Amino acid sequence: MVDPIGAGLVALAAAIAVSTTGIAAALGEQVIGSAAIGVMAEDEGFFGRGLVMTVIPESIVIFGLVVALILLFVTLPSIG
Amino acid sequence: MFEPQPMTKVIIAGSKDYMNIAIDAMYKHNVVHIADFVDEDEDFKIGKPHESITKLSERTVSLRSLASYLSIKGKEDIPNKYPESAIIDTIDAKTEQLDVEVTQVTDRISEIESKIKDVKDKKRLLEPLKSFNLPLDLYTGYQSLAVFVGTLKGIPNISDITTDYELETAPYGRGSVISLFVPREFEDDVQKRLQEQGFATLPLPKGEGIPKDIIVDLDAQLTELQSEKQKSEEDLADLRKKHIEYILASDEYLSIETQKAEAPLRFATTKNAFIVEGWVPTKDLGLIQSDVDGATNGHVMVSVDRSEGVDVEKVPVALKNPLPARPLEVLIRAFSIPKYNEIDPTKLMTFMYPALFGLMLGDVGYGLIVIALGLLVSRRIKSEGMRDLAIIGVYAGVFSVIFGFIFNEFFGVEIFGHKGFLTHVEYYPMLPRLDNVLTLLIATFIIGILMLTLGYMLGFVNEYKQHGLKHAVFAKLSWVMMLWGGFLVIALILPPLTTGSSIQLSAGLVGGLVVMIVGFILVIMGEGAIGIAELPSLLSNVLSYSRLISIGVSSAGIALAVNRLSDALFFSKGGIFVIFGVLLLIVGHGINTVLGILDSGLQALRLHYVEFFTKFYRGGGIEYKPFGFERKFTEEK
Repeated sequence: MVDPIGAGLVALAAAIAVSTTGIAAALGEQVIGSAAIGVMAEDEGFFGRGLVMTVIPESIVIFGLVVALILLFVTLPSIG
Repeated sequence: MFEPQPMTKVIIAGSKDYMNIAIDAMYKHNVVHIADFVDEDEDFKIGKPHESITKLSERTVSLRSLASYLSIKGKEDIPNKYPESAIIDTIDAKTEQLDVEVTQVTDRISEIESKIKDVKDKKRLLEPLKSFNLPLDLYTGYQSLAVFVGTLKGIPNISDITTDYELETAPYGRGSVISLFVPREFEDDVQKRLQEQGFATLPLPKGEGIPKDIIVDLDAQLTELQSEKQKSEEDLADLRKKHIEYILASDEYLSIETQKAEAPLRFATTKNAFIVEGWVPTKDLGLIQSDVDGATNGHVMVSVDRSEGVDVEKVPVALKNPLPARPLEVLIRAFSIPKYNEIDPTKLMTFMYPALFGLMLGDVGYGLIVIALGLLVSRRIKSEGMRDLAIIGVYAGVFSVIFGFIFNEFFGVEIFGHKGFLTHVEYYPMLPRLDNVLTLLIATFIIGILMLTLGYMLGFVNEYKQHGLKHAVFAKLSWVMMLWGGFLVIALILPPLTTGSSIQLSAGLVGGLVVMIVGFILVIMGEGAIGIAELPSLLSNVLSYSRLISIGVSSAGIALAVNRLSDALFFSKGGIFVIFGVLLLIVGHGINTVLGILDSGLQALRLHYVEFFTKFYRGGGIEYKPFGFERKFTEEK
């Protein structure tokens, strides 16, 4: 028998993990992105490197995503 | 195997009388990378450019201005190359004549354009008056009458000021346009009244006749002018078509001549001799030696500089890779070109980059789309960088299809196996991602550990070549030991920790701990206490590889959501709804493909740049730029 409240809390925890890290990644990318655009205005050849630097904070949201995945696919079935 | 093209340092020296011949010979082969001479002293001065340079710049300026009038940008394809000999003798006369022809047409066009503008201005002024049937000349020139022509809100009422007036009105925009004639003595009062209603005087153009008729006349003029302009533009297009080959070829010829004339600025010269320091790919050494020697009758020597202590940092780097790996060089260049004594990771990336990409995208359907897009772009687009990326896309697509079969995904749908359409087809390995998250998560960590180990091994080789064995052990082997020791320890204590049972002190655990601690001591010995600060990065580097599965699962999740949504909303209802269902599928999977390509591409690149390259790769080499030119529009005879 699945505990509905427990399952709901796990799902909510997964949502928090993804959403908060998403916001954090966005804040990081905002700063780097605008700086990268600034450099690109001077030197178009920076596009490739700028793009890569801009996605570096994406790690944060990916870690959040991993936590969420473990919660949904490992923890959630085990409490069911 | 991972080295760049071997280079030989050469010194080219000879009498100044033969300098230009030597320049021609060097230029023709396009292999000598000249190291600019900068340290002037009493004996050696920087050379002076050839005297033809002023003339060459003048010609270039006039030719480029012609090219810009004819909007020739230099990216065009032309079927035939222009013989250089046909340019040399005629360039001055022909450019001048072309200049006259083109200027004639462009002058005519700008003259017509200014006429068109005049006509349009006049028409714009007359437009509000077109409903009044009073000839233009009757609006001005009265002694006893004041005339108001303009726009205002509503219709003016001045009957309390005077009844002796003539008023015509017509709707105009949001208000109306009026022409009002009143005796001079009421002018001030009427003006005040009108201004209360927002009166704005309209400027009247000079001329005769009724505005409506003038406008008809102006329209006719306008059509005529425009057809004239079109004709002149066609003339210009004809000129462009007729002379494009010549202009492109002359521009190239002038660029080549300018480069040759400016070459001495990079040489060291004395009163009678010149010396060039440079680098030649070892395989081309014989060719350039014999050719320069032959062309100058032995008056200019190309000799190999065997002096010790050549600064490796200054050796130019020409990447040397087999044709299939060459597109990947674009990704290496975007990071930084390797130094001469560094490992060039292009070949490794040729396999690893598409593999990581495929692991993330991992869908047969999306993979096929990526392959198709890659092929399309590589055929159609001329830009070299884009074409390289497209070919990388094709490789990545192939891996996506392979992993798509392993993950059993086709646009998010399972095709094979007991849950799929083709139930009788079972194969191994078949690992649907959404059902095997934990297994695949562990697999990504193992991929991460293997890739980091490879990175440290390459770093070991680099360090060994540059600083010797001891340094290599301290700087790189130590980290590998910590990585594997730590991995062993975590792998052995994590399962009991999660299940809550006690930890067994096995041989593996002890071994892992010992290896880890020895590695740690080596790091401290090699890098000092600062090495401790680097420790967490090792863990985060490994964890970073979890993006391989998390991005994959998100992409698979979106695909599944699109499929279920279109089924629940539309396909289950049947009839006309099927069309909406198909539309939703196309849009949804389209967006997911774009997201998948962007995200997988960037994250795979990041795993290389940030996690992998930092273990061995510094870059910062000088790109090999030989003195010469790839002719596109001209040919030597």
